[in-house]
Amino acid sequence: MTVYKYFIKIALRNKWAILSYTIVFFVLSIINGSSPTRGETSFVEAKLDIGIIDNSNSQLSNSLKDYLRDKNHIVDVGQDEESIKEQIFLEAADAIIVIPKDFDEKVINKEKSVEVYRDDRKVESIQIETQLNKFFVFLNATYKDGKFDLDGISTALNEKIHVELIKDGGKARNYHISEWFRFYFNFTGYVIIATYIAVMGLVMADFTDYNIENRRKISSKKFLKFNSEIYLGQLSLASIITLIFILGSIVLRGKYIGEVNFGIYIVNTMVFSFSILCLTFLINNITRNKFVINALSTVLSLGTAFISGVMVPQQFLGKKVLTIAKFFPTYYFVRVNDMQANSFSDIRYEFFMQLLFAIAFLFTGLYFSKTAQKV
Amino acid sequence: MIVKVNNLVKRYKELIALDHFNMEVEEGEIIGLLGPNGCGKTTAINCILSLLSFDKGEIEVFGKKMTPNSYDIKQQIGLVPQEVSVFDNLTVRENIDYFCGLYVDNNNLRKQYVDEAIEFVGLKDFIKFYPKKLSGGLKRRLNIACGIAHKPKLIFLDEPTVAVDAQSRNFILNGIKKLNKEGSTIIYTTHYLEEVEMLCKRIIIMDNGKDLVSGTKEELKAMITTSEKIVVGFSTVQDEVVEKMKNIPHVIDIEKDGEDYIIKFENGFNNLTNLLDFIKKKDLTYTKLHSQLPTLNDVFLELTGKELRD
Repeated sequence: MTVYKYFIKIALRNKWAILSYTIVFFVLSIINGSSPTRGETSFVEAKLDIGIIDNSNSQLSNSLKDYLRDKNHIVDVGQDEESIKEQIFLEAADAIIVIPKDFDEKVINKEKSVEVYRDDRKVESIQIETQLNKFFVFLNATYKDGKFDLDGISTALNEKIHVELIKDGGKARNYHISEWFRFYFNFTGYVIIATYIAVMGLVMADFTDYNIENRRKISSKKFLKFNSEIYLGQLSLASIITLIFILGSIVLRGKYIGEVNFGIYIVNTMVFSFSILCLTFLINNITRNKFVINALSTVLSLGTAFISGVMVPQQFLGKKVLTIAKFFPTYYFVRVNDMQANSFSDIRYEFFMQLLFAIAFLFTGLYFSKTAQKV
Repeated sequence: MIVKVNNLVKRYKELIALDHFNMEVEEGEIIGLLGPNGCGKTTAINCILSLLSFDKGEIEVFGKKMTPNSYDIKQQIGLVPQEVSVFDNLTVRENIDYFCGLYVDNNNLRKQYVDEAIEFVGLKDFIKFYPKKLSGGLKRRLNIACGIAHKPKLIFLDEPTVAVDAQSRNFILNGIKKLNKEGSTIIYTTHYLEEVEMLCKRIIIMDNGKDLVSGTKEELKAMITTSEKIVVGFSTVQDEVVEKMKNIPHVIDIEKDGEDYIIKFENGFNNLTNLLDFIKKKDLTYTKLHSQLPTLNDVFLELTGKELRD
């Protein structure tokens, strides 16, 4: 087991690569865990700054304007589309509603009656859509004999809704805990890619150095035995790194593991770890250049973490980005963590995909390995 | 016969690296593969060791056909490559232990072998050093220790003294002699003539992938048929007199070597008598006069028409 022994020895001589990632990761996890629980205790309907351009000036459009004026602050805005967009961009208005000339007709025909320009950067601007929907639902409900009951609508819309937040029975805390585990394990994925490729890549670059490899080739050590010891070394190292992060979650939030699907997090991390181990195997069979390995470690870990939803949740990522992310196992790893599934059957597709990637990496790596061994 | 290479041809597309190369190595000898850089020495070794495939020819080592899977043969072979091939992240002792471990599984035996190898190359005071901290000469010694720790019967040394200081060079050369005395057969490649003359019982001269000639150094030097060199030193001599020396019968060339002159004659004539007559006639006083034995470089020059270090 000389090869195994020295694989581990050389890997540990690169301990700073592992330690630097681990320390930064744990510091971030501790900071994240120490932030106060974000729970809402009151509900306030916010007034928005909106602009209204009324090209219809009918009784119906005035009724809409009155309703919106009551709910929001009205600001002056330009008339043309470019000017409207400029106002939104400069945050002069949260939303601008354009009422067309044939507003009444469109309402009667149940067509899209108004044009809404909204500041997507402000989550609360969605409120204007809700208000408009509410108005049109009420309006359509009162349509009878070619007329609208505008007084009735006004009365109905002015009814205040009393919103009272009832006690959540600890759901906010549960949400915070599961968020912490989600964040922790998603970032574990990022660190696993970075450390596996960097550390194992650098160790393998030493073992596959042309001259050192030649010394091994002329030795009486059988290729299969040599490879077995190398793979055992890689597996041991991967297990140690994965174990550090699993134990880290227990040390930092051990008392809450019963409140989340901890088993799924563990199995998902192990499956992902195996998949990345196979990816590392492939990379090691493609290049022995330490600069390339370092670059790949950074690019693949950061790149896949970003597009797969480690840094930014998947629901905020564009369709095209997510389509690209699907070509990496990180996407499926993050999906499992984000899903908070109740059973393994809910996430079997994601596990299957990660294992499929592992097999693909392994076989491609074996192909390159065989090619490289040809005399 | 420990190694037998017959009509070995190795091509890299248009380039012929080995052109029907032949070599035979007897057990217990040190054989020198001598030739200029790029003549195919390392390619020949790599083919023998199955590190490279070849286009034509047969290779037998220890009486068996050599293949990449000839692990029983490989157990008895040691290689000291031209480049220092060690792990930067392992200490001197760990490096030797790792490479010895590729041949020897038994821990106690390996420890003994590693200790002996360290002693042999004189790196006892450096066992905990990383290669980066070693001088060029010490690195070369480590490179040798990694190749011979498992006590192979056949050792390939590929230019092991390139870029080392004189002290380390002598240490290495004496070490090689010692290995040979202990029973190892050695195949030594170099382009340093003096090393081959000092070490090798038999020499193969290579150029352009071919084995030009082989034999003992005496046999090779006896092959010189075209020239004879006489070294002469004068107390005082004028340039025009030296110029006139060129008119002595059968003189080919005159070279100045410090204060002395090396006069190259065609072989097989009374050259010394003719030179003495000239000195007497010109009333010159000589301080030195002797015939110079041909060197391996002369042999190479005669065979190829170029200097070995061209």
